[in-house]
Amino acid sequence: MLSRTMHDIRYDEVHDELFVTNPFANAVLVFRGGANGEEEPIRVIQGPRTQITGNSDRLDIDTVHNEIFLPLYNRIVVLPRDGNGDISPLRVITGPDTQMSSAGSVAVDSVHNIIAVGTSGTSSPPDERYGDLSYPLPPKGSILIFDRTANGNVKPKGVIGGPKTGIVRILQLQVYPAKGWIVATQPGRADVEEPPGVYVGVWSIHDNGDVPPRWKLAGPNTALKKPRGVVLNPKNKEMIIADMRLNAILVYSFPELF
Amino acid sequence: MLRKFALRLKVSLVVVIFLALGTLGWFSAVGPGKVDSLTLAPKTALRSLNGGPRLVSVEPLPVSDGPMCQWMPASAGRSLRASLLQEQQSGRGSEAAARTASIDVDRAPARVIRDDYPTYSSVGLDLTTNEVYLQDENLFGLMVFDRMTNTPPTASFSEPKRRIRGHNTRLEFNCSLYVDPTTGEVYSVNNDMLDHMVVFPRGADGDVTPIRQLHTPHRTFGIVADEETQELYLTVQHPPKIVVYRKKAEGQEKPLRTLEGPRTQLEDAHGIAIDKKNNWMFVSNHGATDRNGGKFYPPSITVYPLNAGGDTPPLRVIEGPKTQLNWPALMILDQQRGELYVANDMDNSILVFRSTASGDVAPIRTIKGPKTDLMNPTGVFLDSKNDELWVSNMGNHSATIFPRTANGDVAPKRTIRSAPVGKTAQMIGNPGGVGYDTKREEILVPN
Repeated sequence: MLSRTMHDIRYDEVHDELFVTNPFANAVLVFRGGANGEEEPIRVIQGPRTQITGNSDRLDIDTVHNEIFLPLYNRIVVLPRDGNGDISPLRVITGPDTQMSSAGSVAVDSVHNIIAVGTSGTSSPPDERYGDLSYPLPPKGSILIFDRTANGNVKPKGVIGGPKTGIVRILQLQVYPAKGWIVATQPGRADVEEPPGVYVGVWSIHDNGDVPPRWKLAGPNTALKKPRGVVLNPKNKEMIIADMRLNAILVYSFPELF
Repeated sequence: MLRKFALRLKVSLVVVIFLALGTLGWFSAVGPGKVDSLTLAPKTALRSLNGGPRLVSVEPLPVSDGPMCQWMPASAGRSLRASLLQEQQSGRGSEAAARTASIDVDRAPARVIRDDYPTYSSVGLDLTTNEVYLQDENLFGLMVFDRMTNTPPTASFSEPKRRIRGHNTRLEFNCSLYVDPTTGEVYSVNNDMLDHMVVFPRGADGDVTPIRQLHTPHRTFGIVADEETQELYLTVQHPPKIVVYRKKAEGQEKPLRTLEGPRTQLEDAHGIAIDKKNNWMFVSNHGATDRNGGKFYPPSITVYPLNAGGDTPPLRVIEGPKTQLNWPALMILDQQRGELYVANDMDNSILVFRSTASGDVAPIRTIKGPKTDLMNPTGVFLDSKNDELWVSNMGNHSATIFPRTANGDVAPKRTIRSAPVGKTAQMIGNPGGVGYDTKREEILVPN
């Protein structure tokens, strides 16, 4: 049931389970930890009641409150972690006040009870090298911060975005609740092979407005060209990054984060 | 009487001398400078007990230059923790507002997980020059070999004649290719993010700019050309569709027609083949659909009229357990014999169906087994001139060549290998996310 397109995976260390989406089938697949080969998922959340529509590309799980969060462009759908089949969401954050128009990633901090939502856009002009092949320009990207229990048409508690942030778009997000960090990949424009200004940034959950990240993993020594995925390994104080253009996984020592 | 008086005088003298010596000793040990600091002690020592408490010492506190903790009455409306949190928030907000630059962390990675060898998503031949093109989806490029290349078992790999690779080529995650049998032009399709097809001339080498580029829908996968009508047929994974362009189309040119809609039963479409004799088009599907809220169907091959457009249902569907289909990828049709070759990715096999097959039917031939060296085959090409079947393997950095009629667990006639023997590919393909299993200490890479 997996597809050749998966842009997120979350490990539930409490229940030893893996969570991925199949964006073409509007499904959340749950596998046992350590699953291998053609092993079937132990649960599949799918169906019209779930409100999972339109490229369910990424997700995060809250193992404290037993919830799954799915960003779906103009809404966040919250489902029970142990759900199965065609189930209704517990909550749906959506509406004009949410400022979500291209929400594509999410991370939940169950200690501080917030969620961080990554949105995509570009604030740079079309790349002249490619002329008519460049995309039209969507709105600017940002990180929106909501209460974890937000529901309906609610305003974000915080909006991190603007020229000082350097955000064109935000893809995979993580949080580190022990210190209240948001860790986000900023891969630049999608239609450019090696966009300028890419980085992996760290903000505080209390940050708001046009503020640059506290730490910015970027520069020639990093070798990063288009980072799209990030996960933390607190035990070894490492940040692990998936880079699209390198088609590789890079592991960085990052003790200052922990 | 006189003796008693003398004895008393002696004792008195001893006491006086003792007292005098003691006083002298005290002065010499303490000194006049230290008298003040001990002013109170001797006085205290000399005080007599009065039966009650009394102040015996005062020591002033150091002057404080920091804020004092505010006293919080027990009747306070907010919890202390909430107050502290708010202080932190306003403090961090202030700190954030003042922050105008980041701490740049420009450090090298401690470890890099990357496959240094090419992995081949598709294959095509130029039978005029006897060259084979292998699409490298790992390092991004096209590797060109002589058709008769056969990597010796003792060699690490075979060197290509040419490599089309580099930033100007716009080759990235390209999944399929087509070689024009007349002109030798090479058409290569990007599957993710760059969303275009590029065309190179025969003999292209190095970091060259394509001679044509066509903007294609996101997630375009397979390609085939109708040389008679000069049309290109492309599959789009999702939302699934078939788009047909003018063969020389470029830029933002629109398709001539599009096959899409719920009745088509297209479900994560991948490979495509055409039959000019019967005017059919064959599409391989992985089975995932968002129809009716989302569903998983079995993998299938759907067959349509060649000129189908709009929401047209298939004429036939090849589907079911007997078919052995498992992530069917690229396909090619032997029009003369009416045989359809399917690269069957997750089954490590090549399936051959009759072009008239329908329903749950077994293939007429299956190339599968350890001798075949097939590992995640995704591309096929039929060389009718030399009666050979070419397969590109994503799983082991190789292309394997079989007799056209190969069946069962057979060894390839030749192998073009681009990595040492036994080296399996990591198959990291466009990683958009990453996870970490803390229990097993494993990095999880979804592709």
